[in-house]
Amino acid sequence: MSIEVKDLSFRYGKIVALDGVTMKLGEGAVGLLGPNGAGKSTLLRILLGFLVPERGEGKVLDYDIRRDQAMIRRSVGYMPESDCFIAGMDAVTFTAYFGELSGMPRQEAMKRAHEVLFYVGLGEARYRLLDTYSAGMKQRLKLAQALVHDPKILFLDEPTSNLDPNGRNEVLELIRDISSNKSIQVLLSSHILADIESICRSVVILNKGRLAAEGRMADLRAINYSLFELRLKGDGEAFRRDLESLGCRVDEKEDGLIKIYMPEKSDRMDIFRTASRTGVQIRYFVKSQTSLEDLFAGVVGVD
Amino acid sequence: MATIREKGYTHWDGKLTERRFPWWPITRTGIQLAFRKKRFKFVFAGAFVPSFAFLASLYASERLEDFKAIVQSKEALINITPKYFNAYFTLPFFLFLILLVLAFAAAGLIADDLKHNSLQLYFSRPLRKKDYLLGKMSVIFFFVLILTAVPGLVFIIFKLIFAGSFKFFLDYPWLPLSILGYSALLTVFFAFYVLLLSAWSKNTRYIMVLVFGVYLFSIILHGILQSIFKTPFVALVSILANLRQAGAFLFGQKLPFAVPAIWSFAVLAGICVLSAVVLNWKTRSVEVIK
Repeated sequence: MSIEVKDLSFRYGKIVALDGVTMKLGEGAVGLLGPNGAGKSTLLRILLGFLVPERGEGKVLDYDIRRDQAMIRRSVGYMPESDCFIAGMDAVTFTAYFGELSGMPRQEAMKRAHEVLFYVGLGEARYRLLDTYSAGMKQRLKLAQALVHDPKILFLDEPTSNLDPNGRNEVLELIRDISSNKSIQVLLSSHILADIESICRSVVILNKGRLAAEGRMADLRAINYSLFELRLKGDGEAFRRDLESLGCRVDEKEDGLIKIYMPEKSDRMDIFRTASRTGVQIRYFVKSQTSLEDLFAGVVGVD
Repeated sequence: MATIREKGYTHWDGKLTERRFPWWPITRTGIQLAFRKKRFKFVFAGAFVPSFAFLASLYASERLEDFKAIVQSKEALINITPKYFNAYFTLPFFLFLILLVLAFAAAGLIADDLKHNSLQLYFSRPLRKKDYLLGKMSVIFFFVLILTAVPGLVFIIFKLIFAGSFKFFLDYPWLPLSILGYSALLTVFFAFYVLLLSAWSKNTRYIMVLVFGVYLFSIILHGILQSIFKTPFVALVSILANLRQAGAFLFGQKLPFAVPAIWSFAVLAGICVLSAVVLNWKTRSVEVIK
């Protein structure tokens, strides 16, 4: 296991940020999901050694998060969410500088900086001042500095923010390449569910500081509930109430489409029986493949 | 924008090492960045004008015969003693020039990192807070030492060369130590002073104004308080007065103000402690990820 935490807890004053989170993350790309305030950033801070957990323990690549912070930071590449650069520098100097701070010899860092800048598509712009870079170029630059020391794990915080659709696809392709072909594990924190769905094999969902779901995407989709989509004719209020009393979650979209998250052990015929009892007609019915969005809505309880 | 993946990703086959001085790349880069500013180069070169003037006076003091045509006196034009060194190093204009150099070279040392969110990049490396701060401080150490200790020691060497004897050194064997001590005092004080202000805001221009503003305000406040209370102890509010007191003490000269020198040292140390507290607070790792 590359990342393993047990009973991890942290609070900012009276506010509980993480509450007894236990999880094991394996190889490949892992998505870190959760609404604002769920504890994603706090988890990253603790894994990078910026914060000392109030309770619990953890390891990153077998390095203890309390004792071996320097070793963890040497093995991890971190791409922050916000724009960050050093004014007056060009991309090569910037990338080599952070390689050197990671422990690379100066000449090696410079050579490596050229390579990763070409890799992220900034090869021709590598001698330009960073002050003149566009938002998309700064995003790639952050990825370059995270890769320069050839980390074993990459922590990517909202890597596609500020990017146009084309740039977003290119960066996603890079991340996919890194995680699938280059034996670098990726922990991808993002609010864009589609990004995580397209790259990650596993996902960790945090909600209110607790672990809401964790595991392989395919497994998570399969368990817990079945998703049905339907359209009704008639007053659906009683229908909705009755289904909720059966343990289902019912969401109605603006276009009238109703999504029913049904406990796995429930019988789908209950939907028809409820419709019959409450006097509504089902005009459309399909068992839907759950998306990450559905999974997220299911475990976190928000759209 | 260039197409992505012009070259494939390759693993680096080297080995990351633990540096003996992890702060050194920060210092080297800070100095390089300062010299990339065109205006700074002029300011830095200009800061050596007093040194050349002092060197000329050294020459004139020892080579009176060369100036016989214009000076009839048999006495030395200028008497070079520790007092003269003290006067040079505590000259308000000289201290102002050091501040000018630091305003251009060091005002943005932390402010720029705060402005461009780069603290989180530093601290995601195997770098401790003290390494980061020491790296930034060493940039100031470099510039202050090159304007104080280096010329000071060069002056002594040239004094001996011009005189053609070691008499001056034998008369004042402690003078190199005084120069080094005072240079160290200026270096440490200015490092804390400028970094304190640099950590205060994200706006470098505002900090450049503050670097001079706080310094000049303390001098003006001294003048105002002096006229009201008529006591030498109000000199303690002035950065310049405290530096002059400390300089006079280290060069073994009469103190310019009738206040024990230890008080001035205490005030300067107090500013350094305040700075250390603010720096520690401003570079908390809790804040590095937003």
